[in-house]
Amino acid sequence: MPLDLQQKLAILADAAKYDASCSSSGSNTKREGKGIGSTEGMGICHSYTPDGRCISLLKILMTNYCMFDCKYCINRISSNVQRARFTTDEIIYLTLEFYKRNYIEGLFLSSGIIRDSDYTMEQMVRVAKSLRLHHGYKGYIHLKTIPGAHDDLITEAGLYADRLSVNIELPTDDDLQELAPEKKKDALEGNMASVEYKIKEFKDARKAKLKPPTFTPAGQSTQMIVGATPTADYAILHTASSLYSKHSLRRVYYSAFSPIPDAHHGLPLKNPPLMREHRLYQADWMLRFYGYKVEEIITSKQPDLRLDVDPKTNWALNNRDFFPVNVNKASKEALLRIPGIGVGSVSKILKIRRLKSVTLEDLKKLRCVLKRARPFIITQDWHPHGVIDTEQLIGQLVTPKYAQLELAL
Amino acid sequence: MSKSQPMYQAEVYSFEQWRSEARNALAAQIAPSDIEWQSDGQQGLFNTPVPKAPDTFSVNINRDFMNLADAAACFRNSARWGILYRLLWRQVYEEPKLLSISTDNDVMLLHRMVGQVRRDSHKMKAFVRFKEVERYHNTYMAWHEPTHYVVERVAPFFMRRFTSMNWAILTPYQSAYWNGEKLRYGEGQPRSAIPHEDAMEEMWKTFYRNIFNPARIKIDMMTSEMPRKYWHTMPETALIPSMLEEADTRVKKMVKDSKSKNSDNQDDEDHDSLFL
Repeated sequence: MPLDLQQKLAILADAAKYDASCSSSGSNTKREGKGIGSTEGMGICHSYTPDGRCISLLKILMTNYCMFDCKYCINRISSNVQRARFTTDEIIYLTLEFYKRNYIEGLFLSSGIIRDSDYTMEQMVRVAKSLRLHHGYKGYIHLKTIPGAHDDLITEAGLYADRLSVNIELPTDDDLQELAPEKKKDALEGNMASVEYKIKEFKDARKAKLKPPTFTPAGQSTQMIVGATPTADYAILHTASSLYSKHSLRRVYYSAFSPIPDAHHGLPLKNPPLMREHRLYQADWMLRFYGYKVEEIITSKQPDLRLDVDPKTNWALNNRDFFPVNVNKASKEALLRIPGIGVGSVSKILKIRRLKSVTLEDLKKLRCVLKRARPFIITQDWHPHGVIDTEQLIGQLVTPKYAQLELAL
Repeated sequence: MSKSQPMYQAEVYSFEQWRSEARNALAAQIAPSDIEWQSDGQQGLFNTPVPKAPDTFSVNINRDFMNLADAAACFRNSARWGILYRLLWRQVYEEPKLLSISTDNDVMLLHRMVGQVRRDSHKMKAFVRFKEVERYHNTYMAWHEPTHYVVERVAPFFMRRFTSMNWAILTPYQSAYWNGEKLRYGEGQPRSAIPHEDAMEEMWKTFYRNIFNPARIKIDMMTSEMPRKYWHTMPETALIPSMLEEADTRVKKMVKDSKSKNSDNQDDEDHDSLFL
């Protein structure tokens, strides 16, 4: 008996859940014409599941049939998972009906690769195009580009999508070779480069006041799976940093490898390394918003982030000479390096200290984490006076219990 | 001054009323401690109204402050009007740069109120769930229970987004209606004013159940972003207990099945070059 729409939805949502990205922000586009939908810059999370992740988009695969055999993937050709395929109209129907009830911000469509990359990409573009042109749909669309799809298809996808992405999947070529033999880092980055080139072309044309058609206003993102291979954080962060600078990505998502049904036997069958994933996101923020370089966060000698202490505090512990920082005098760059004080608090401190001297009480009111900040700062009413040596500090600031979070099942 | 009853009383129900009464009070130089702000219709014993400001009276107020005050005015606590007037007074007569001192107690209260109102507004944009109601000409109707008075802040968002639909959002204190042309506000409504079911909810629940990854449970993360007080109007939340109950079993089964399958295959390892 053929599957009904609800059964297909169950299969193709289940198949899509290992992609961490669900962001719907960064697009603020006035799409013309009467219709339904809007994007106003700020993303909206419409629901949350008990795994703590948000539901912003209808995240589904067009099909989970796939010719590839990526070992970490539930949809690889050698997996015995049940298969399904949506028609174009079914995806459009679900998107519009969910959208009209305010369940979602839009559609995030990905797919297994059927027939060939171009055919698959073309089918996905067809969904986006029809939503925009035939249904007057103005909500968010995120399309996952298919590795190796023709440039023309990617260009067309960018006309209708708010965001395009291609998953880099694994941090190194060797990892790909081992787990996703059909995927090549060069080819994946090739997709990114095309999208980046088109975005730049669009921006140049707009600067020249040419009114070009919008091209992926929310930019592009990617995802790396963490913990499926022994590759260390050092390589992961270098890859991320190079992706940010080479292809101007908006986001790199890190996805702790979690057990999948019918898993390939080369994979670690244990609880996903959530604390490691968390530390990688912290390090990622340090790269993007705090002005750190990868080499400052991690070195080849100690190639993994500590789980028991956050990477910013860890940097401070390793660079005691840099401290104490005088909160009332230091530069913005120096303030950003104080553990327990975030980007938002730093900009508030800069404003306050023009009018009055900043005290510990002020920092407390700004919700800075005093326990972590205090050993590293001077305020009007506080000086750490070198009473605390590094050993003692480590004792105070690290949380040894995290090592226990990742028990094998 | 005696510290008995305040001498003046102002009765306000909206930001615009507060704005006008505050202007009057500033013109008459009435100190914050000498005015009682009412918004529950109860008259105080010494209810001297604030005298009208002369038309010539003008005072420059920081636009940022007025935007913040506009948001804080939606905060569900009658103390808000007095706090806002105190902030205004201090900026006009004492500390023009008060707002930059984000650790000042009044400024903190302001930001806390604004923060909660903005969060509640954002959650309304997120958690309103429309049901398509055939007997009202396919109007999309929702019943939602915001914590603060945010309906008028948020309704224009729904108007911009769902321009071509007829919709109604009912809340206990105020309702918003859009007919494709005009946004209208009306009285609050009980939950029973809208029907119970919409067939599409089953489809939505199917998605919700299946997008969940049972191998990563982070309940605190979920409840901090989706507080329980909003759950009763969101159909998918009914599934949460059973999803949690099944999670552990599902993960263990995944691991067990894979292990047993892989141990069956051990003998074939050498021929397994397809995967290696």
